Amino acid sequence: MIGFSLETVLYVGAIGLVAIGAVGLVMSNHLFRMVLALVIAEAGVNLLLVLAGFRGDAVAPILTGPEASAVMVDPVPQVLVLTAIVIGVGVQALAVGVLLRVYRAYGTLDVRELRLRMELDIAESAGIEPPGSQHAPAGERPLPPAGAPAEEVKS
Amino acid sequence: MSSVVLPVVLPLLAAFLLQPLDRVSESVARLLGPAVLVASAWVIFQVWMGHGDVPFNIALGGFAPPLGINFYVDKLALLFAMAVPLFGLLFWPWAGEHEGRAREQALMLLLLAAATGLTLSGDLFNIYVFYELVAVASFGLVTVKATGRAYVATVRYLLLSAFGSVLALVGVAIVYTKTGTLNLAQLAQLAPEMLHDPLGLAAFVLLLIGFGVKAELFPVNTWVPEVYATAPARISALLAGLVSKLAVLVAVRLLVLVFNQPEAMQVMLVLGILGTLTGELAAWRAKDFPRMLAYSSIGQLGMVFIAFSIPGPAGLLAGLAVMLHHLIVKPALFGLAARWNGSLDALTGAARSSPIAAGLFVLFALSLIGVPPLPGFWTKLLVLVGLAQEGQPLQMAAFATILVVTVIEANYLFRLAVRLYRRVDEPPAPHARLDISAAALLGAVLVAVTLMIDPVGDRLRSVAEQATDVPTYVTTVFPQSVVASDGVDAASGAPLRTGPLPLAAGGEAERLRRVTIALGD
Repeated sequence: MIGFSLETVLYVGAIGLVAIGAVGLVMSNHLFRMVLALVIAEAGVNLLLVLAGFRGDAVAPILTGPEASAVMVDPVPQVLVLTAIVIGVGVQALAVGVLLRVYRAYGTLDVRELRLRMELDIAESAGIEPPGSQHAPAGERPLPPAGAPAEEVKS
Repeated sequence: MSSVVLPVVLPLLAAFLLQPLDRVSESVARLLGPAVLVASAWVIFQVWMGHGDVPFNIALGGFAPPLGINFYVDKLALLFAMAVPLFGLLFWPWAGEHEGRAREQALMLLLLAAATGLTLSGDLFNIYVFYELVAVASFGLVTVKATGRAYVATVRYLLLSAFGSVLALVGVAIVYTKTGTLNLAQLAQLAPEMLHDPLGLAAFVLLLIGFGVKAELFPVNTWVPEVYATAPARISALLAGLVSKLAVLVAVRLLVLVFNQPEAMQVMLVLGILGTLTGELAAWRAKDFPRMLAYSSIGQLGMVFIAFSIPGPAGLLAGLAVMLHHLIVKPALFGLAARWNGSLDALTGAARSSPIAAGLFVLFALSLIGVPPLPGFWTKLLVLVGLAQEGQPLQMAAFATILVVTVIEANYLFRLAVRLYRRVDEPPAPHARLDISAAALLGAVLVAVTLMIDPVGDRLRSVAEQATDVPTYVTTVFPQSVVASDGVDAASGAPLRTGPLPLAAGGEAERLRRVTIALGD
């Protein structure tokens, strides 16, 4: 393989998608964006799995005689990808479901605020002093009351 | 022999039947879960008695590996497959409201079925599927309290866990691209030629971090304190005790069979050291009991990874010992946390209202610190001796780390023990009988192990020796397997890119060869 073969481009694309997902998960502060980043990463890894059995010159293996004559792609990774897609969709749906519950409880999906309020809640129920947090609002940004509509998504 | 699939199938079936059955007859549904778990434990016990010393292989659905998926049953797998239903029974959600209880029990059965599958599976992708099942069931279980903070903790846990699965799947993709198989026995044959290189190491690190989310491995354990502080104590007990160990078990199987190279062990060692240090220091600073246990659990699992990074049966023995010790101690402590779920200050004088709980806490604390003759001492000794025998700088760093964290552990555990026995006028509320009975039972096990440390040690040694015996693993799964070099195209030296290799004899081989020809160049 010399230069940019189709396969190289696809590999770079697949790993790039996983990387985009990773960066999105780490950098974003909005829970729904984090779920979307997860979706992108999962698309990337599914592509990578399909590539594991990919052949550029393959055709669909339609049996016309007793012997399979044509060159075909490795079917095993495709089966794996089907399973992975189903699992991925299930987990994403569950994530969005829990996200709804979070929004109903706190009225926001901003991770920094949610973490702060979760820590406060844990501290309150455990009867300990709330921890000092570097994300604590220094007065100019009060927390919205529970049930209030969330702020606009800030990028 | 094939009855060993029942502990996976029965709880899975019961999990889906439980809720419809609950509408028809509540009393039957109440008994279904425990009955299934008792049956599972009984089946595994029978298999252990019948075939325990010789490992065997089960081709699921009659399809021989590598095309079919298989269960590999050896002492190590049986040991943990046995622990799964027992711990399920120990922390079974008996109480609770009608509807919520049925849902929680169904999730619990799902988790236990998948966990059993995880211990037995001999196929990398199958392991991934069971791991995801465990993960999804655990997401549901940690939200059963339905508080806002539990949902926040769960969603962060879920995102981290799902991303871990993505990383693990990238590892799976690399392994498949390089070898063309995901069967562990076949990978064990091919690994020395195809996976002992930088890309293979990358695959191992991805798999380790991916499965390490559940095993509370160092960089991916941020969910641990949040979830354990918000979930019910019995769920924390199950996650910290059982599920984390099964994730470690997967990592160990991969390390022993496939990625048995020094670099992989060094990665594990470094992550283990970091996990131990950060976990124990955070536990020292913790102000409430559940989070103190959560951080201490991170530290303990760091030590498990340090132990498994020692090569050979010695490392496996040390790792197993630390794992089993933690499997007994940490769920018991979380059992105590069912009532002691608040700040450490609030526990002052608790020994007066619940003397048994306080006594048990002191017993477990002493064992965690490693005071002889309790089992915790022997586990730490095994790790330290193993590390000292290796003697590389990194191992000596781990050696020093374990000694340092022992001091830290002793400090925060004794601090609490002293506080428990302080005299106050109004001691906190006593424990419920059910909470304390689980801890008491595990305490009894701990004392029994202390008394029979020699036979238990011998047993563990034979388990470790069998688990490190890679040739037996391969020949058990592929009885007709020939030389390992079959996986490489003799002419070009390039690996065959074509799925399963023709290792089996007879008609199977013919069929495989046809596939290979159809696929190959």
